[in-house]
Amino acid sequence: MATVKVSEAEKVYILHGIRDDLRVDGRSCEDYRHMEVETDVVSNTDGSARVSLGHTAVLVGVKAEIGKPRPLVPDEGYLEFFVDCSANATPEFEGRGGEELGIELSNTLYRVFNNKNSVDLKGLCISAGEHCWVLYVDVLLLQCDGNLYDAISVAIKAALFNTKIPRVHMSSDDEGGKEVELSDDPFDCVRLSVENVPCIVTLCKVGHRHVVDATLQEKACSVASLIIAVTHRGTVTCVKKVGGGSLDPESIFEMTEAGKRVGKALHAPLMKLLQQEESLGKKREKVGFLG
Amino acid sequence: MLKSKTFVKKTRAGGVMKIVREHYLRDDIWCGSEACRECKQESTVLQAEACIESNLCPYPHYVVPDTNVVLHQIDVLEDPVIRNVIILQTVLQEVRHRSAPVYKRLKDMIQAKEKLVYTFTNEHHRYKDINWETYIEREQGESANDRNDRAIRVAVKWYSQHLKADGLKVVLLTDDQGNKEKAEESSLVVYKFDEYVKNLTANPELVDRLALSKDDKAEIISSKVLFPEHLPLSKIQSGIKSGTFLQGTFKASRDNYLEATVFVQGEGEESTEVLIQGLQNLNRAVHQDVVAVQLLPRNQWVLPSSVVLQDDGAAKDDDVDGDEEEKALRISAAEAAGKPTGKIVGIIKRNWRPFCGMLNVSQIKESTRHLFTPADRRIPRIRIETRQASTLVGQRIMVAIDGWPKNSRYPNGHFVRSLGSAGEKGTEEAVLLLEHDVPHQAFSQNVLSFLPKMPWGITPEDMIKRQDLRHLTVCSVDPPGCTDIDDALHCRELENGNLEVGVHIADVSHFIRPGNALDKEAANRGTTVYLCGKRIDMVPELLSSNLCSLRSNVESVIGLKASLTYAEAQMRIDDTNKKDDITESLRGLNKLAKILKRKRIENGALTLSSLEVRFHIDSETHDPIDLQTKELMETNSMVEEFMLLANISVAQKIYDEFPDCALLRKHPAPPPSNYDILLKAAKSKNVEIHTDSAKALADSLDVAKVDGFSYFNTLLRILATRCMMQAVYFCSGMDSDFHHYGLASPIYTHFTSPIRRYADIIVHRLLAVAIGADITYPDLMDKHKQSALCNNLNYRHKMSQYAQRASVAFHTQLFFKSRGILNEEGFVLFVRKNAIIVLIPKFGLEGTVFFDSKDKAGPSLVFDEEGPTLKVEQTTFHIFDKVKVTISLDDSNIQHQKIRMALTEPVIPGVSVAAPDVEPQAKKPKVDR
Repeated sequence: MATVKVSEAEKVYILHGIRDDLRVDGRSCEDYRHMEVETDVVSNTDGSARVSLGHTAVLVGVKAEIGKPRPLVPDEGYLEFFVDCSANATPEFEGRGGEELGIELSNTLYRVFNNKNSVDLKGLCISAGEHCWVLYVDVLLLQCDGNLYDAISVAIKAALFNTKIPRVHMSSDDEGGKEVELSDDPFDCVRLSVENVPCIVTLCKVGHRHVVDATLQEKACSVASLIIAVTHRGTVTCVKKVGGGSLDPESIFEMTEAGKRVGKALHAPLMKLLQQEESLGKKREKVGFLG
Repeated sequence: MLKSKTFVKKTRAGGVMKIVREHYLRDDIWCGSEACRECKQESTVLQAEACIESNLCPYPHYVVPDTNVVLHQIDVLEDPVIRNVIILQTVLQEVRHRSAPVYKRLKDMIQAKEKLVYTFTNEHHRYKDINWETYIEREQGESANDRNDRAIRVAVKWYSQHLKADGLKVVLLTDDQGNKEKAEESSLVVYKFDEYVKNLTANPELVDRLALSKDDKAEIISSKVLFPEHLPLSKIQSGIKSGTFLQGTFKASRDNYLEATVFVQGEGEESTEVLIQGLQNLNRAVHQDVVAVQLLPRNQWVLPSSVVLQDDGAAKDDDVDGDEEEKALRISAAEAAGKPTGKIVGIIKRNWRPFCGMLNVSQIKESTRHLFTPADRRIPRIRIETRQASTLVGQRIMVAIDGWPKNSRYPNGHFVRSLGSAGEKGTEEAVLLLEHDVPHQAFSQNVLSFLPKMPWGITPEDMIKRQDLRHLTVCSVDPPGCTDIDDALHCRELENGNLEVGVHIADVSHFIRPGNALDKEAANRGTTVYLCGKRIDMVPELLSSNLCSLRSNVESVIGLKASLTYAEAQMRIDDTNKKDDITESLRGLNKLAKILKRKRIENGALTLSSLEVRFHIDSETHDPIDLQTKELMETNSMVEEFMLLANISVAQKIYDEFPDCALLRKHPAPPPSNYDILLKAAKSKNVEIHTDSAKALADSLDVAKVDGFSYFNTLLRILATRCMMQAVYFCSGMDSDFHHYGLASPIYTHFTSPIRRYADIIVHRLLAVAIGADITYPDLMDKHKQSALCNNLNYRHKMSQYAQRASVAFHTQLFFKSRGILNEEGFVLFVRKNAIIVLIPKFGLEGTVFFDSKDKAGPSLVFDEEGPTLKVEQTTFHIFDKVKVTISLDDSNIQHQKIRMALTEPVIPGVSVAAPDVEPQAKKPKVDR
């Protein structure tokens, strides 16, 4: 993970600021940086979204392909995650430098998103035991400026919201062989319900307090952070501790409560934004990466 | 500006893939109109004064046909009257997608300069005002067809607006009611195609070429269902998969319109024939269609009937559908259970083409519906609608089938064009080319564009790569009047006393590069077709008679010293006074050729015989005025020997170099049963023929002689020729038997005539690669592609031979038409159950003398298959009997004129006819050869 070197004096300055709920860039402890979301940015995916948070930038693309359901859950489709840490984001990722982080991120994303409470996996099934939709969620890190999890989760939620799966039905011929039939109309698509898709809120323990959306400098001052996946109702679906230091149960409780609060507040404007964008349809002027 | 087109596609593995194509709009696409002052175009196609005499649109206008109009009415659109046409890119793409033949015709039409057809790339057109852009995206709930219709309307709208100031209108032609209504809503000028064409005052007969649109069809046919429904393609496919149906090619019977066979290609080489009988079972299949058949239960299997049935009810209506004839057929067939019999359940692929034939005018006056009888008996009669029946009577016309509804006795079609009066030379030539599928259109601009630029000369690079042989005494020897000379020879004595012989072949492959339009066209044509007095070139004339032809005194790397005819060469050899280089060279060649020939014959090469005739054509009328069998001279055989040698050497070389993909020619040995007739015939004259090997056959033919019957040997050789198999091209990687039976050569190919045979071009390329003179290309090394090419070449060769024969037959008829009735001597060539086939050596003509006739009781006939002999009353006919016959032209059926022969000698009362009084001016037939 991208890191910066912070001197002792800087650390003290950051710590003191956080103690007084006034961070270096002027935010309070539970504030996010400026966030931009745009969907439908990559035309050859079935759904895509671009999110920038401060200087962190990620791109998520969703490709739907027909696959075979997992034997234990024959009536469900599934999601696959792949995180590509491009060397554009930071020189550390050059060569295989980003691999470890990529695997860690994708494993976490898999745990957070691939369950039937978050995504309607049953709706992805085409014919039980034989065909289902597999959603390949590809995450590309374009720039790292801290708080990757939150940015990625928002981008995934937006990309899933944007995903259009072609409508198919099964036709069977005389000998019982089944074949997938495709609708002729490219507008004839299935949309996913993203109502229950959670967002991740990362809380960094800095000194005695915790902050959301930590910058790289703040991260350097923190010993451990807690990753909390929260739905729009404030339900926590997943919690994970990362970082070398330890957290006492009391602060874990406090952090979870803060995460619930922040997460709920994050969902509402995000959904509003997505719906607004959708309603513009084709008339919307695309911003893209250069905008 | 970039747009993207997105669509979803099913992959072969059963998955679904989203495909995104980039789509660019550009602002430099002009309207193509001469009148336009806004577009900055360099050249224009469409005229400013676009006038066409019409009651409907008297103003200057351009027409825009929609896709269905192009697909169905291409026959009318091609007419020179219809000009100033805008073909939208949307239409072009849809046509390309839907029908390859129509697409090709459309492309040809666009290329024809005088047609004034402009292609407007509306899908990429960007206009300064975004609201007038002609590229549209598919909207939600809109089908692909609707979107294309809308794109067409938007483009027409743009055009109307664009050309408004210039006083031009744009007329959309569509047969789609919905489209028309929508176009009217957006105030476009729109007409139905037939409406537009019917109001053209200049060319009223165009109306006949209109294809029937759907509602017209409904009107014609009664509600009675005559045929079972065809199954949908998906059902056919699953049926074929499961084996309930068989797929095959439908071949109608020539003699019986209620009978047909379907050739089913089985696994590997095996193929079966399924017999189909009766209208219901034939179920609207037309000759050459690919069909699905269902076998009938074994107890319904029948034998092919021997009855000849022609569908000749003058205007048989739908309700009188030949029930009696079918009954007759069944009775004759039901006697013995036999061949696999089936019924057609569906059509997989129609193979309809425009058919030549003649009109049977309806007996009802004022009727516009008539039946059309195709020249090919295997094609059913076609019902067409025309108002010009009285003019079309007696003409050869072409008709295309539009469809065959299940409640119509005959398919419905429309008139395409007239070829001219029946019986006229030009007309009949066109008919025989069309019926033999010989591509004979003028070469398209696209093809011609690949010709070398004239004046063409040898470049210094050419000189470096090639050897300069201009110092040699090279000469060509060809038939008189030959302009496509592709081979030449030289011979000189070397210092050590050996003779050096060179065979020089035009390097056509230098001009025809693989894969371009010229090459594709030549590959498709396969061969040059020689008709009497006409040549249908495989390559454009510039190549065939000019650049590639080795003419004397023309610059090339070989300097041809003389172009001789066979007769001239023969005279030089025989004239002992001549001592010049050319003559000496010819003598050397002749000497060597004789040695080569002797060796070849020792190896068992066959010398067979077939009579070839040559017409003396009147230079003014181009009618044949005399007829003479071709004479062969020593020099013919001299040239032939060296060509054979060159072909064999090249075959060996390319096979050594490319064992998998050499293009070779083989001549399979005939199965022993083929020789039965020859053996029987020889035996009747107490001559024994051995057919164990080519060598044995050749030897026994050489000694076969009958005293006092000098023509016997030639007749025997003619019979032997009929026993042979067809020689074919093949790819060495796909076959193991290379033997050429007739030439007694283990390997053979065609190399020496690249101007007139495509196989030779391929062999040239292979040889060029083998000697490092040229580079190779993938298709040349692909044995499957080459095998497919061979199939086409074999087909074209076969058809060209048939066309050639038909042309000779037609000219023979012309000849006899001018001569009246002739009396000639001939020989019995075959004996049949009810007839003898007589060969007239003088004309190389074969004809049948029938002994039974339809209307009166015939003489008593006794046929003995062992002989074979036929006893008519008291006279017995054997093979080789000398007879005298009268020859006359039977033109009672103008579509199938034929030579009629009647016996004059031996005299059989009631059978033979009296010899005509006029003594024919013929000399004695020249028989010794």
